[in-house]
Amino acid sequence: MKKKALALVLSVAMMATMLSACGGNSGTSSTDTSSTTESSSTETASSTDTAAPAEDELAEHVTIKWYLEGSNVSDDTEVMAAVNEYLGEKLNMTLEPIWGTWGDFDEGASLSLQSGDDVDIYFTCSWTTNEYSQYAKDGYYVRLDDPENNLLEKYAPDLLGLIPDVLVDGANVEGASGFGVYAVPGYKDIANQYCWDVNVTLLEKYGYTIDDVKNRSFDQFGELFETVKQGEGANFFPLLPESSVIERCVNRVAAIDDNGLLSYYFNPENPSEPLSKYGNVLQNKFATDEFRTFAEQMSKYYAAGYVDPECANSQTSQETRTAHQLEGSYLIGVQSYAYGYEAQASQERGIEVQFVPCEDPYIDTVSSRGAMMAISTASKNPERAMMFLNLLNTDPYLMTLLEYGVEGVHYTLNDDGCVVFTDKRADYTPWRNGMGNITILPPQEGEGVGYVERFKEYYGASHMLPTTGFTFDTDPVETEVAACKSIVEEYSTALYMGSAKDGMLDEMLERLDGAGMQKIVDEANRQLDEFFKSK
Amino acid sequence: MSETTVSLKRRKRRINAVSVPAEAVIHIIMILFCLFCIIPFVFVVIISFTSEESIRQIGYSFIPNEWSVEGYQYVMKMGAQLWRSYFNSFFITVVGTICSVLMCVLYSYALFRPDFKYRNFFMFISFFTMMFGGGLAPTYAVSKQLLGLHDNYAALIVPLLFSPFNIVIMRTFFQSSVPTELIESAAIDGSGEYNTLFKIVVPIAKPGIATIALFNALAYWNDWFTAMIYVRDAKEYIPLQYLLIKMQRDVQFLSQNSASLGAEAVKAAVNLPAQSLKMVLVVMIVVPITFAYPFFQRYIISGLTVGSIKG
Amino acid sequence: MSTAAVNVNTDLAKKKSARRKKTFMLTTMVLPGAIWLLLLRYLPMFGIILAFKDYKVYPKNPTLLQNILHSKWVGFAKFKFIVASGNAWIMIRNTIGYNLIFIVLGLFFGVAFAIMLNEVTSKFVAKTYQTLMFFPYFMSWVVASYFLYAFLAPTNGLIPNMQKAKGVPADQIIDWYNYKKPWPFILIGARMWKGIGYGCVLYLSAITGIDSSLYEAASIDGASKWQQIKYVTLPHLKTMIVILIIMDVGKIFNADFGLFYNIPMASGLLTSVTQVIDTYVYSALMSTNDLSMSAAAGLTQNVLGFVCIMLANTITKKIDEDSSLF
Repeated sequence: MKKKALALVLSVAMMATMLSACGGNSGTSSTDTSSTTESSSTETASSTDTAAPAEDELAEHVTIKWYLEGSNVSDDTEVMAAVNEYLGEKLNMTLEPIWGTWGDFDEGASLSLQSGDDVDIYFTCSWTTNEYSQYAKDGYYVRLDDPENNLLEKYAPDLLGLIPDVLVDGANVEGASGFGVYAVPGYKDIANQYCWDVNVTLLEKYGYTIDDVKNRSFDQFGELFETVKQGEGANFFPLLPESSVIERCVNRVAAIDDNGLLSYYFNPENPSEPLSKYGNVLQNKFATDEFRTFAEQMSKYYAAGYVDPECANSQTSQETRTAHQLEGSYLIGVQSYAYGYEAQASQERGIEVQFVPCEDPYIDTVSSRGAMMAISTASKNPERAMMFLNLLNTDPYLMTLLEYGVEGVHYTLNDDGCVVFTDKRADYTPWRNGMGNITILPPQEGEGVGYVERFKEYYGASHMLPTTGFTFDTDPVETEVAACKSIVEEYSTALYMGSAKDGMLDEMLERLDGAGMQKIVDEANRQLDEFFKSK
Repeated sequence: MSETTVSLKRRKRRINAVSVPAEAVIHIIMILFCLFCIIPFVFVVIISFTSEESIRQIGYSFIPNEWSVEGYQYVMKMGAQLWRSYFNSFFITVVGTICSVLMCVLYSYALFRPDFKYRNFFMFISFFTMMFGGGLAPTYAVSKQLLGLHDNYAALIVPLLFSPFNIVIMRTFFQSSVPTELIESAAIDGSGEYNTLFKIVVPIAKPGIATIALFNALAYWNDWFTAMIYVRDAKEYIPLQYLLIKMQRDVQFLSQNSASLGAEAVKAAVNLPAQSLKMVLVVMIVVPITFAYPFFQRYIISGLTVGSIKG
Repeated sequence: MSTAAVNVNTDLAKKKSARRKKTFMLTTMVLPGAIWLLLLRYLPMFGIILAFKDYKVYPKNPTLLQNILHSKWVGFAKFKFIVASGNAWIMIRNTIGYNLIFIVLGLFFGVAFAIMLNEVTSKFVAKTYQTLMFFPYFMSWVVASYFLYAFLAPTNGLIPNMQKAKGVPADQIIDWYNYKKPWPFILIGARMWKGIGYGCVLYLSAITGIDSSLYEAASIDGASKWQQIKYVTLPHLKTMIVILIIMDVGKIFNADFGLFYNIPMASGLLTSVTQVIDTYVYSALMSTNDLSMSAAAGLTQNVLGFVCIMLANTITKKIDEDSSLF
């Protein structure tokens, strides 16, 4: 009986093999277009040097599926009608967006990629599970500047020129087909700048000014906190922290990847240089003196009742934080700065909000890969996908249509040429930074004329960390990373928020040691050395 | 004659009933436990009528500072999508329950028959899948690319059609309530297999079938994962439960990634539905299925089927 | 004699054909289920080998199957992380420990409540009880966790607020989400709260299937209520109880993720009493989303569970053939 069952399992597995192979093939043949083979496109490409795609390349009508992140779209009929009319004319294609939301993108896009769905373009970045460098390395994305089939050169020769170099540097990774570009970076907020988010209204009520915050370091805030806490009562919490952000407000430290295990310390005077104490060496995030001092200070503030204990719970901290912000019930919070956000925050919260920057804006690998668009290796029409991405990032009409909707329906333009949204916008709100080049968009009402110029100037002045472009390939230490990560999960919120008990940091460090943390640090530094050598 | 049976039954029940103090103890235990079960739901209802302002000030509370129907108004504004999702949930639950119960009864009945030649084999292949599976991505690939299960009702019904767990339960129900002699005598009378099953066995096994139907209905009604995976392009197939989970997942994702997203996370979080709204949706999900519950219960609570063995 | 032999022969032939027909008809009954199993369960099983491979995309034909087939074999490398945190013992202890408690208590309360419900004279009241008991089942663990949080939350929670109102000094107010001791009880309570209604239904409908004449006979023989339960109800429920236990044993290495992740609000400081295999795998692979590693973890749980369930089934078979799974 067991033998029979085994035989059945085996035969079923065999069948599965055959059937799915067939499925894969039938999938290919059943798409409405038979794909242009790579060789033919290479030939046509060599005969055309201009950006305008040759006629015969557009002969077939194709459908391009586009998987986006962070959308809030319930009705896209009008927008897509206009988009497809335009795209049909320009590129003989139909666009089918898949409006991924914050909550379902990770699961949906990874499954889609892993199982080879017929989606052509995916949003990718440094901070979701659909992680750019990892997925490029595993072969999910087409190399866009592949010497054998250079899609960028052929269909989007000017595209990268429009984007700041730092973004292009960030897009260059060691992928499955060699070192190159595997996604088109979106031109959006690209720099990190961590700030104290100060409730000036409240501050002034107690006779302080913004300078009292500016001239104090983190460990000197206690006096302000104490005064305001006394005045506002026991259920008021002056300090409104957010997990790892507050560490970056206090210490000049940058993350290396999404795992939150390693730190890179940079020079407070000039983020383009390392902190001389450490040099270009990555640190175990929790083992530095700087981290210990920070954690101890947080513990003091927490014990003094300056931090809402509900912030110390990873599940509720964000909701608690948003609630306190909207209420204006905080004195000093933390915020990773986005250009133009100060005014919006003041308006939303009904208080005067000022951001006090803790450092000059800087760019690192993570921020340079904040939002990108990659073409899937499973795409049947990578050429057309590339043409679309090119048009999207260079054609203001198309970009505005996709981002803001139809003029007269979703928005109107005021006398200054700024965008004013209508009620219909609620049905169609894609994530603005998640599409591409936002500098070709008209400014919104709150941003005002000249926004793009100011935006470019602000980010143009930002520094580049020496490690920008470096990707830590965790594959050689994947077991250690998984184990250490689960340990960090246990302690990090408590350490960041100050609710940690005495000795907790040491306990964690000991366990990290046991799980092979040193091996991770060594491997990362070995890779970083190589990175600097090749630079 | 009917009068005598009624009075006879009454008398019997009296004879066989537990003593009054014992029943009082049972009632006390039951009432306490039921309170324990129902209070959280009452709480959810209260929160659904609490104003956001009050939640921000004093958190969730049985006595909010301020009442509000804002959440319900917001839900009503969702309009078409909401009613469509309601309809989807109903449709999936009804069709799915009927089909899955039918499949389960057929499969487990054959397994229940000791004289079925391949009994052990089919038992094993069903049991084996309870323990081993190919994982999410391979299942997704086969369902979607090979079977075309995506963005349609079939995609929401088929994945839950069959449950090895329910097969075992159903088979056990058959074993404990259907005497094999009954089937043998039916066979001698020349009754076909399907006839025996539907005319003789099913009426006896009603409580068991109702239980399985209830489990299946709950599984379909509560399911959101299938929708998240298989409904991607065509939002018109989204069931109610997923509409709720989606919002929770949005909030959770933003809080997990707030450090990377910075101001984006805050901006996005502002647009997300507020706390009371989430509870409104919970209420809207729980209430309909609660009304459907007595329908199944009719068969589950004793008093209906006893005696049917004879006819 | 020859006619008799012919008769026997035709009888035999008839019996044979009848048997064949019966087998055929019964096979048609299992067919829908069997086809479903084949398509939706057995076909995807090629994914199991993912656990032994380093999953990479095969660029020439990037379908899942081709990717898997062309990925490199790495043996058991992807399994290592399961025990690498130094916490393996704790998480395995928690997983098995909680599951055992859930099995025992779930069984006890399920049967006890079913018997009690069956003794309630008014059927209407019994139905009402049962409906109310089912409410928790409808609430997802996320919603349940918010409910619990409303009581225990440090700033706005009902319990800390009541304590504050009573004038309990701040340092004596329990910070629930940072205090381990009560959590095993909270988790067990939460699980019972959610699951009893469900378990109770199963036993109740099994009790319903008992022929009432058995009770009548027993009560005429002078059996007390206890004796009736002991000698009529419980023996009748035995098969159901044993089957449910066997199936639970098969899942003893799989924890209810929602319960252990959401109810403690993923509070890291409670890990030593709340971490189970499933939550560990989640936190370890959260950012990498490594297909092979998650396949390896799942396979480990299932193989261990499979061994346990086969053991349990064999033991049961030795004691009581009828109650075994197969």
